[in-house]
Amino acid sequence: MTINITDLSAIRSGRTILHPTSLTLAPGERVGLVGASGSGKSTLGHALVDALRAQGRMVAHVPQSPDEALDPLRSMGFHWREAERALGASPDPAERDAIFAALRIDGGDLRKRPWNWSRGMQQRFVIAMALIGKPLLIVLDEPTSALDPVVAANTMELLDTYLSNRRTACLLITHDLGLAARRVERLMVMDGGRIVEDTPTVRLLDAPRTQAARALCAHRNWLALPC
Amino acid sequence: MLTLQNASVMRGRMLTLDDVSLSLAAGRTLAVVGESGAGKSTLIAAVLGLVKLHRGRIAWNDAPVATIRPALVMQEPRAAFNPALNLRRSVMEPLTARRLTPDPVRLARFCDGLELPRDLLDRRPDQVSIGQAQRVGILRALIAAPPLVLFDEPLSALDAVTQKHTARLIAQLQAEEGFAALIVTHDLGYAAAYADDIAVLRAGRLQEVQPAHAFIAAPQTEYGHTLRDAAFALGALEHVA
Repeated sequence: MTINITDLSAIRSGRTILHPTSLTLAPGERVGLVGASGSGKSTLGHALVDALRAQGRMVAHVPQSPDEALDPLRSMGFHWREAERALGASPDPAERDAIFAALRIDGGDLRKRPWNWSRGMQQRFVIAMALIGKPLLIVLDEPTSALDPVVAANTMELLDTYLSNRRTACLLITHDLGLAARRVERLMVMDGGRIVEDTPTVRLLDAPRTQAARALCAHRNWLALPC
Repeated sequence: MLTLQNASVMRGRMLTLDDVSLSLAAGRTLAVVGESGAGKSTLIAAVLGLVKLHRGRIAWNDAPVATIRPALVMQEPRAAFNPALNLRRSVMEPLTARRLTPDPVRLARFCDGLELPRDLLDRRPDQVSIGQAQRVGILRALIAAPPLVLFDEPLSALDAVTQKHTARLIAQLQAEEGFAALIVTHDLGYAAAYADDIAVLRAGRLQEVQPAHAFIAAPQTEYGHTLRDAAFALGALEHVA
């Protein structure tokens, strides 16, 4: 089902941090949302998730920090069962074990509370919860920034496989154009609370039109920097 | 020159740093890479003398490292400052602690080099952006002209564009000041672009140390390969090798 959302906006303390924004995602489409710190990426992600949930759609959201996703007073097992219920999935221990093994959290004790797990394991647990069932959309907000590179690369591969096997659309929020460019076919660039560019990945990399996109492209690689 | 000879650190019954030998010459840059728990932060603490060595020794030109007062740039820019003080007071601390007088010309040159507006230092840490706070952290590290500066994940809190910009400013200041830089990072792209040598740590042990370009082209250990391939998969090494 195509996702079509119009007029998302957000105002905090009298300041508009997300100007009215509409967006459309095709079924199974993978889109990157890129921009500098403070450009409004996470705000748009939150607004999109809220709007779709208000319509009764199933959406998985991996927030930037596991603190946003995990209740410190509840066990990891509680979080898992809650996520299964919320995503309308019947408990499937075999699938759970497969996801845990792939994300290398099979050693984690589900009776424990989040703070007994390492940060990296907490983050991977939150990603694992987003892989339950078949949501319409999965929003990943800087999913790998808290992970070390080997685990991060494995996690992105797993997400690729998962998304390919389902018709789940994906919004990948990141400040890292290099990461997004390898994973998505379409890129949206945010600047000052607005989407200033929305174009196929290849075209953005070849010919960025806006200043924000040009800055991201110029700083994509460590060694190909402008002088 | 900084030398580590068979340096080992014991935490409880575990060696968090296990028989590590490394050297870093004046004015050069050594990047230490590895996963969480590899012992990267222990290495920094050991060089700074914050943890006791179980075995081995760490020295700067045969003298204890503490005698040259190395500086540290921390990972979380805002948390690295006393929130109650304005930034100027924090920046001056390395000088006031040694009863040295600040040199206004030097301070102005650093502010310009780090692209910090002159009045920025009169603000508190929560009144500047994260990128600015990290540049002030670099300013504080360099103000007393230490011959050795340690960087603990100096860019990981910054966005991709700010990261690359800050890395370039660090390199320019290093060329002017001539300090040796020991950079702990998990970003192999950064290490490949700016370090002379790359050392790979895993579970407290040194896996390999090579010139940066040689490591990217041909890691010598299996774990080195895994690390490099992961960096490629994450888009951090495009057009490098």
